[in-house]
Amino acid sequence: MNFKQITLFAILLLSTLSFCQEKFTISGIISDKKNSETLIGVNVSVGSAKVFTSTNEYGFYSITLPKGEYELTISYIGYNTFSEIIALNQTIKKNISLSENGGQELQEVIVTNEKTKINTRSAEMSVNKLSISAIKKIPAVLGEVDLLKAILLLPGVTNAGEGASGFNVRGGGADQNLILLDEATIFNSSHLFGFFSVFNPDAVKDLKLYKGGIPARFGGRASSVLEIYQKDGNNKKFGMTGGIGLVSSRLLAEGPFIEKEKGSFLIGGRASYAHLFLKLSEEQKKNTAYFYDLNTKFTYKLNERNNLYLSGYFGRDVFGIGNSFVNTYGNSTFNLRWNHLFSDKLFSNLSLIYSDYYYGLNIDVVGFNWDSGIKNYSIKYDFKNYISEKLKLNFGINAIYYDFNPGTLSPSKESSGINYDQLDKKYAFEPSLYLDVEHKINDFTFAVGLRSSSFYRLGPSTINYYANNEPVTYNSDLKIYEKAVPTATKFFGKSDAVEKFYNLEPRFSMSYSFTNEKSIKFGYNRMVQYLQLISNTASPTPLDVWTPSDNYIQPQIADQVAGGYFVNFSDGKYSFEGETFYKKVKNRIDYIDGANLIANKAIEQVILNGEMRSYGLELLIRKNKGDFTGWISYTLSKSQQRTPGRNDNEIGINNGQWYNSGYDKLHNLAITASYKLSDKWSFGGNFILQSGQPVTYPNGQYTYLGINVPSFNQRNENRLPLFNHLDVSATLIPRKNKGKAYQSEWVFSVYNLYNRKNAASISFQQNDKTLQNEAVKTSIFGIVPSVTYNFKF
Amino acid sequence: MKNINLNFKLLFSFFTLLLLLSSCQEVVQVDLETGKPKLVVEAAINWQKGTSGALQKIKLTTTSSYYNNITPIVSGALVIITSGSNIYNFIEIAGTGEYVCTNFTPVLNQSYTLTINYGGVNYSATETLKPVAPILTVIQENNGGLSGTDIRLRTTFIDPANEENYYLINYNYSNRPKPDFYVIDDLFFNGNPYFSITFGGGNDEKLKTGDVVKVTHYGISKQYNNFMDILLANSGNGGGAGPFSTAPATVRGNVKNNTNEADFPFGYFSLSETDTRTYTIQ
Repeated sequence: MNFKQITLFAILLLSTLSFCQEKFTISGIISDKKNSETLIGVNVSVGSAKVFTSTNEYGFYSITLPKGEYELTISYIGYNTFSEIIALNQTIKKNISLSENGGQELQEVIVTNEKTKINTRSAEMSVNKLSISAIKKIPAVLGEVDLLKAILLLPGVTNAGEGASGFNVRGGGADQNLILLDEATIFNSSHLFGFFSVFNPDAVKDLKLYKGGIPARFGGRASSVLEIYQKDGNNKKFGMTGGIGLVSSRLLAEGPFIEKEKGSFLIGGRASYAHLFLKLSEEQKKNTAYFYDLNTKFTYKLNERNNLYLSGYFGRDVFGIGNSFVNTYGNSTFNLRWNHLFSDKLFSNLSLIYSDYYYGLNIDVVGFNWDSGIKNYSIKYDFKNYISEKLKLNFGINAIYYDFNPGTLSPSKESSGINYDQLDKKYAFEPSLYLDVEHKINDFTFAVGLRSSSFYRLGPSTINYYANNEPVTYNSDLKIYEKAVPTATKFFGKSDAVEKFYNLEPRFSMSYSFTNEKSIKFGYNRMVQYLQLISNTASPTPLDVWTPSDNYIQPQIADQVAGGYFVNFSDGKYSFEGETFYKKVKNRIDYIDGANLIANKAIEQVILNGEMRSYGLELLIRKNKGDFTGWISYTLSKSQQRTPGRNDNEIGINNGQWYNSGYDKLHNLAITASYKLSDKWSFGGNFILQSGQPVTYPNGQYTYLGINVPSFNQRNENRLPLFNHLDVSATLIPRKNKGKAYQSEWVFSVYNLYNRKNAASISFQQNDKTLQNEAVKTSIFGIVPSVTYNFKF
Repeated sequence: MKNINLNFKLLFSFFTLLLLLSSCQEVVQVDLETGKPKLVVEAAINWQKGTSGALQKIKLTTTSSYYNNITPIVSGALVIITSGSNIYNFIEIAGTGEYVCTNFTPVLNQSYTLTINYGGVNYSATETLKPVAPILTVIQENNGGLSGTDIRLRTTFIDPANEENYYLINYNYSNRPKPDFYVIDDLFFNGNPYFSITFGGGNDEKLKTGDVVKVTHYGISKQYNNFMDILLANSGNGGGAGPFSTAPATVRGNVKNNTNEADFPFGYFSLSETDTRTYTIQ
């Protein structure tokens, strides 16, 4: 951080000391009465609905108003609304615990409602929130409740097909999502190559997906932010939650820690036993394939002004074929946070975060070990200053240190022919600071933010230099790109900066409210991404490595504009959101034909700089209240990429033409609904209909060395057949649960009810026996029935 | 490194096998367009160690529609290879599209130029004849595969030190008409004893006693290595589609169309020293 930045930061701090005459503050924490779990995003309004705020990620709220009498109303879906007349003639501290409005004991939040009606007055847009209870209602493959599969039902979110890892937001790459679990970055969100996500649903409280209008406190990824909050744990009494499913089982314990109502702990584990099925077959009994994860959290309230949180995650996938292949990978995170209230208006949080991703492989047949990964150490200090009912400031600093291991190759045994090799480790430092101002002026709400980010690619490192500074040369004779041979190298010592970048990232959003229930919004954001995932497959694989921007790889810069119309109608029973967006990303890397990315020592030699664009229209209608709830989302969008030649002589990639990204879905319709029939039975259903994935079909074939070779034309010009499936679920809560401490439920579900054989891919190959050319369709999930048993006590 | 890559790919196919209990594959009919026919040059000059290498063959064909099982041949072309002042004429066996030379003189690390004239269009390519390390042994191992009882073959050689080497590996099986190809380079085993390996075919084509396997190692150039890498990926050899597949690319070889640059032919002009062994499974 330079001097300018420090000065700016000091000014921000000072600005929080502004005085307001004859104004008083009411503030506090809002939590669940039953277990003291803090509630995020609770609506807090005073007097008329025009003065409102919502609780932050730690359940804190603060409102400052001129002296007077007000009606304070606290409402959160699934909870009884709290209302009280308050004489605001002094500063008031008011912690409020809400009680659930007669929901099922087993549900964390509520059974019937997905979410509260949309807050039309806030400038926040392009954001989707899902409570874990809503997610648990969505029928899932093999009954595995999956956060990431649930967000695919939201407008503007797609992926590269069933079983593909990650997700794509508004046409962005899977590597362009910032995924935060209790503020710690998760680098790989998938288990078993994408069939399941790494988040244990029992340990999660809430999730929030920012598709646009991204607040300035977030940075580092071009496309979206997915914030996932772990539960704090019950500080009133000990309890356990668990479930037994076809793929995995879960068990989670929570309860008071050190002192009741002051401290709590939560420890949850989940493990799959898919390998048990393998052991059943004689042929496969030596093989393993499983995953597990562990979530922990400790919360301790030191006093009214100070809270401590310690959270951690550890997850691994392991599989092997006898001793010939053993493969292990996963994330771990560790995070210590300190909430401190400087005053009733100034909330702060200091976080120390460590997270890493590890990939290890042992291939005994060849005789080698492979290790790669990324580690990051981060410090964050965030402030929220609730200056007045009209003005709120968010500001803070963040510094991240990265340690990349692109790969260590070592012989696994004496007889191995492999030489030991350590691909050059890479280091980087990313300091940033930000300010967000939220200001209400009559029927307008503005959120204006600025993030100042820097990135230093650090030594020790040996950097290659090339003729004309081009690590990729163009063979104009054959019209192909080739790796250049370095003409010189230079060693950069520890803490020498190989390259540095500085960027300002403006963020802006505003809303204009016609009435309390109707508004239009507009947003713009610039996001800068300094880390690149080296991957040329349709969806990322676990062995893809992250690499920092450097003298050859420029940071990705995304600009997005979005506009929308938001309305609640029929007394908030229904809501409608319509948004349109246009996004452009500079410096999106693309790979030369035949690029080998695995264990590549000089990745710059296979990379060209391109660009990305996406645009679309998103419609979402929700029914928020009643026994029957759900939503219909439809997205019409386009997501494309282009890498033109660097000069007129070069052809670029795909002849320099725009081509569809692997997850582009022109039409995407998702309908999800849940219906509560009685206290005993409730039902859920999904219907998905979307354009097939873009693929490249051959336009001919030829023979070479006795093999038939399909010849391909332009990239991703064709599409797989229409993708659709219908899923249903039924939840049974036995009557004997009533009034007992032990609560249980059965969830029966059928994925892909009408057994549609959706194409995951169509490959063009020669039949091994007949030698006839064929098109072979692979479909992953046919009809999949499953049953899960959940319990809690 | 490609052999490691190959293993990564195997890993994924293993995984697909393992987890997707309900996954299925079926042959479907897809309506495909057919582009304008293009010339395909299969000019692979191979010189088996210990032979004269005088007899060489070049094949000229064209592309055709994907489902067409007959490869259209190109007859009546003029095909020559030159090296310095030496000119080798390739004469067509009438009406076959196969052009044969009986007096070719292979010299390691020597540069050769191929010239083709066909239909008023002139094509040319230049390449170097690459040596290959001799095969030492072929070893049968009986503890491979998912079950740990499958047969695999390991063909060993010693990689020459202090130089970059690229290998094209070919396995042919008596119980399967389709050959296996893959490419490897010595980046991670430079100068060491190393090997190529085969696991046999798919599940119903495992190697068994009595099967005859023919293995050939070709010494190839870096450029040919890159070409074959893309070509093999496109032909589904050792790859396949799915979420972990890469977008297929146009495979451009080293043969130039000197008359109309944009209308480039497919195929390659390669020159390799080769070593081969035939092994009968015990």
